[in-house]
Amino acid sequence: MRRFQLALPRNIDECVKFLAERGPETKVIAGGTDLLPQMKNGLLKPAAVVDLSGVADLRTLRRQDGSGLRVGASVTAREIERDAYVRSAYPALAESGALVGSVQIRNLATVGGNLCNAAPSADMAPPLLALEAEAVVAGPRGRRRVSLSDFFTGVRRTVLAPDELLVELIVPALGPRSGGQYLRHTPRRELDIAVVGVASQITMSDGVCAKARIALAAVAPTPIRATAAEQALEGRPLTAEQIGRAATLAVEAARPISDQRGSADFRRHLVAVLTRRTLTTALERAAR
Amino acid sequence: MATMKTTRDVKGVGLAIPRPDGPEKVTGQVQYVADLKPRGLLHAKLFRSPHAHARVVSIDTTRARALPGVRAVLTAADIPELKRKAPTRAHAVLAIDRVVFVGQPIAAVAADELAIAEEALDLIEVRYEVLRAAVDPLESMKPGAPPVADAGTEADTSEALAHGSVAGVATEAKPSKAVNISQQAKLQRGDVAKGFAESDVVIEKTYRVPMVHQGYLEPHAVLAQWDTNGLLTLWVSTQGSFNTRSEVADVLELPENRIKVIPMECGGGFGGKIRALCEPITAILARATGRPVRYVMTRREELEAGNPAPQVIIRLKTGVKRDGTLMALEAESVIESGAFSGAVLTVSGVFLASLYLWPAFEVRGFEVLTHKPSIAAYRAPVAPHTIFALDSHMEQIARVLGVDPVEFRLRHLQREGSPMANNQPWLNNGGVEVLTRIAEHPFWKQRAEWKASGDARRLRGTGLALGGWLGGLQPTGATVRLNPDGSLSVLTGQVDIAGTNIALAQIAASAYGIDVDKVRITTGDTDVAPVTGLSAGSKTVYTVGVAVMEAAKDARNQTLEIAAKEMEASIHDLEIENERVVVRGLPDRGVTLAQIGKKGNLYMSKVPPVLGVSHPAFSQQAPAFAAELARIEVDPETGDVTLHGFVVVQDVGKAINPLGVEGQMQGGAVQSLGMALTEALTYDDAGRLTNPSLLDYRKLTAADLPNIETIIVEKPSPAGPFGARGVGEPPIVPAPAAIANAVHDATGVRLTELPLTPERIALAIAAQPAARRPAS
Amino acid sequence: MAKQVLSFTLNDSETDVLVQPYVTLLDALREDLELTGPKEGCGTGDCGACTVHLDGKPVASCLVLALQARGRSVRTIEGLGRFDALHPLQDAFVRLGVPQCGFCIPGVLMAAAALLAENPHPSEEEIRYGIAGNLCRCTGYTKMLAAITEAAGVAPARRA
Repeated sequence: MRRFQLALPRNIDECVKFLAERGPETKVIAGGTDLLPQMKNGLLKPAAVVDLSGVADLRTLRRQDGSGLRVGASVTAREIERDAYVRSAYPALAESGALVGSVQIRNLATVGGNLCNAAPSADMAPPLLALEAEAVVAGPRGRRRVSLSDFFTGVRRTVLAPDELLVELIVPALGPRSGGQYLRHTPRRELDIAVVGVASQITMSDGVCAKARIALAAVAPTPIRATAAEQALEGRPLTAEQIGRAATLAVEAARPISDQRGSADFRRHLVAVLTRRTLTTALERAAR
Repeated sequence: MATMKTTRDVKGVGLAIPRPDGPEKVTGQVQYVADLKPRGLLHAKLFRSPHAHARVVSIDTTRARALPGVRAVLTAADIPELKRKAPTRAHAVLAIDRVVFVGQPIAAVAADELAIAEEALDLIEVRYEVLRAAVDPLESMKPGAPPVADAGTEADTSEALAHGSVAGVATEAKPSKAVNISQQAKLQRGDVAKGFAESDVVIEKTYRVPMVHQGYLEPHAVLAQWDTNGLLTLWVSTQGSFNTRSEVADVLELPENRIKVIPMECGGGFGGKIRALCEPITAILARATGRPVRYVMTRREELEAGNPAPQVIIRLKTGVKRDGTLMALEAESVIESGAFSGAVLTVSGVFLASLYLWPAFEVRGFEVLTHKPSIAAYRAPVAPHTIFALDSHMEQIARVLGVDPVEFRLRHLQREGSPMANNQPWLNNGGVEVLTRIAEHPFWKQRAEWKASGDARRLRGTGLALGGWLGGLQPTGATVRLNPDGSLSVLTGQVDIAGTNIALAQIAASAYGIDVDKVRITTGDTDVAPVTGLSAGSKTVYTVGVAVMEAAKDARNQTLEIAAKEMEASIHDLEIENERVVVRGLPDRGVTLAQIGKKGNLYMSKVPPVLGVSHPAFSQQAPAFAAELARIEVDPETGDVTLHGFVVVQDVGKAINPLGVEGQMQGGAVQSLGMALTEALTYDDAGRLTNPSLLDYRKLTAADLPNIETIIVEKPSPAGPFGARGVGEPPIVPAPAAIANAVHDATGVRLTELPLTPERIALAIAAQPAARRPAS
Repeated sequence: MAKQVLSFTLNDSETDVLVQPYVTLLDALREDLELTGPKEGCGTGDCGACTVHLDGKPVASCLVLALQARGRSVRTIEGLGRFDALHPLQDAFVRLGVPQCGFCIPGVLMAAAALLAENPHPSEEEIRYGIAGNLCRCTGYTKMLAAITEAAGVAPARRA
């Protein structure tokens, strides 16, 4: 790895101040699991790196009474995977945390890092999109809130300005009879990157689907929502036929490329399979 | 030799005992090259080509040299020994004016810190004229392809062109020279055309296995240091220190006795650490700086510019009679060797033509150069590829004929004395035994029940395959000394990677007549050890074991001779018992080994020290076979394969140390399961590797695998120590075919290109005619 | 660039060491602290050979900057058991003949030790996932599973 200057801020203000001074030549490191491989391979050569590990405010994971969940940007995938409340209330999110890398990676990789690196295949993005999470961003002009569906702007690009920092995610509370699941396809069971990832999140009411959110990873330049598929489900009972129709619409939302991880054809095929499977499981979970 | 007698039942051959260096390995104390840090150490990095084929127009290292902390920046112009036409990869230390694969070194840096060396690379400016690259071997063998070798190869291509299509290569009406065919071989017997004409069932398929990496976990690493007398010491991760010494001496034009190679613990090789790779440039950087220099390849460099296994494409056509009689076989193997020649063509041909006894065959092999890293051996080179084609084919024939696939194979399998394709007789081997044994396994007997227990979402199947290795040979040496305390010291130059030293110690113990815990074995460097062959070719125990056994017997005879004089007894009446030489039947009359050992080391003593020596050469191989059996489940929608069980049955001749033998069988099988399911080096059209990390080059993890069941068969080899055969290679051979056969059993889809990825399986199932597609 | 002081707990000892700010924890351990048990097999977190415990949790030390360990606790293979007093996992790995080339072994042992600390009686599946971040090319993992199972006290001891 090439040499760089390392900043060790103790709080968010110090961090934002450093970014305001040197943002364009600086990279932020949280878990380092995505940044350091890119630096080691010479794809990124920042003059300075800001380490978030000393910023305690970013590490909180807490349930908010009646209004959902706040996930600090430095909360690790492993914490998401193992948190009892996340597992029971937001199983799709817990499942996505459990799929990142290996246990050695999950103990380092953070939710914020997963989102800010903005890989199309980011595992924690689809469930957070399907859960309609909001991102809280700190900058020199104070804080702003951004809907996660507006957060990603391209391959490895987000709405964050060079002097801004993702602070936390706010995940709204779910109504009764809600259920969700995240599934991804990989050739290996661990230590792999999604060929396709699908999160489905539904809320049932009087036997019909009151709300459906479906988000896809690794089939477009950014993680995306399959809105046409969602709309096709809302107001209808979730029969196998309806689920199948939604799966077909989700395929239409996908704009996959062919690369070393999978062909566009296979990715479209998987979107259909995984959308159907996640919706089916989401329905079962909503019934519990 | 199989019934070597010792005077009592010592703790030696046959015991499942752990290797004595285990505690060092589990505490992190064992030293690999990268763990060494001599005073004044410099770190090396190589500037590597981003292009598969380009002319190097200019190199400017001015800015790199000026960076503080940089101690040397070298290009080909700085190395007088370099020759324009490099006969091997090792000789192509730095590119002179042309690069022929992505990752080929162009310049080298030594610096105080690795980070500074990396920054220096950023400051090197190279201008290229990018040339058209030959990336696909079938394209590369066509006339008109961009040439890979510097002056064109001298291979005779007339035959290839005269005989028309080779795995899809069309014949040119007016052939021009096919410059990239670097080797050809042909094996032929009988009238193939007649055989096909008289056949009832003719099957023709083309099988393809991509380049794969050996996957050793420790990247290539070298530490080089010159002393003031011009003696070069190399600490290396190698499978053969004497081979490394010879190659480096040749490249650097040094006498071999001015180079000392110290083999450090080798973190895996599997064929990839036989040939010199980065030793010469590290030595040159150390010479240029007058400092010790350490070079450790990154994993990305390993994957991009190591020396992987070749891509192999086999077109196979067979004809049989309705009653199962074999009639004719025709095959063409294309072995992609990358930028330098060096593939072995004959093994593939021998297996294709004569593992099963085809009365007529015609097998051709072509080595083809491409603009990719040159290849090297990988555990049973090209055998898994060949057996993938051949055994997949045998299974298909049996299914078309509706006969039992094991009986069909057994009926036609070679036996001892059957003619091989090269007209040598098949030697004693356990092919029949392992195939017979695996067919008795419950997974095979209950394959119908297993299949029936699946459903539309979980397709279940079973597959087996038979493969093997002919066995390697190489001259080698060993010494055995009796110490003054009665213990034994064994010295070889053998690099112990997998635990062979404990097996060699067991052989010494049994051959001498002493418990193995009284034997210590040392791997010496090239200055002190007797010349010892490579740790490769499944021949460590088979050949070095013989040297150790003979040296131990020599030491035993010397011991008995000394004792006979001391005791005024006939040597024929003596035996070694409980660390004493005694007269048979008179246990009170004896002299201890310690007494004999002491006398060999006493001032004014007239008793010579005991020094057993053996340095044999060999002529008789011992073929070794393994059969493997997979029980699997396939998700037809995602193509996911779940392994529910995997069995290896292997003829090892004699298991010198069953613990080590099991480890070889399990490890070999899993490497091969990776080749079957997930591993491939994939290249884009410009010859760039698209998966240069262990995230995307997918070796199997513990979560992807079941326990590997091992069943050891012991059919003694005539010439091996205590009847042992080579163990390392056979278990990597059959698995890809076994998996392909199991996938076919489960899904009805026959796949002929590895790896059998979920994508290939799922899309093939989706493309099946609806009538045969599993309901979902 | 000036070295900085890294103060942390290393294998139960309070430790201060000067490190460059741009080196990884793995490099600091190996080059500055001469603990060469953790290995670099890939440098990008994909092989597990560099696994150490950071505040008791297994991490890829090749993806941690040395100064990110400031004020924290690090345990390496050198702190798992001593040569003359092996950890039960190390003892089982030796007796069952697990190590071949040995390069992956320190990382596997650290992953397994973290697993057993969190889950003293793991199932076979849990062991497989617990060491799935550790690539081994020699053993096929079967003997590792047996050794970890035995060390966890799940299976009766098997004598070699």
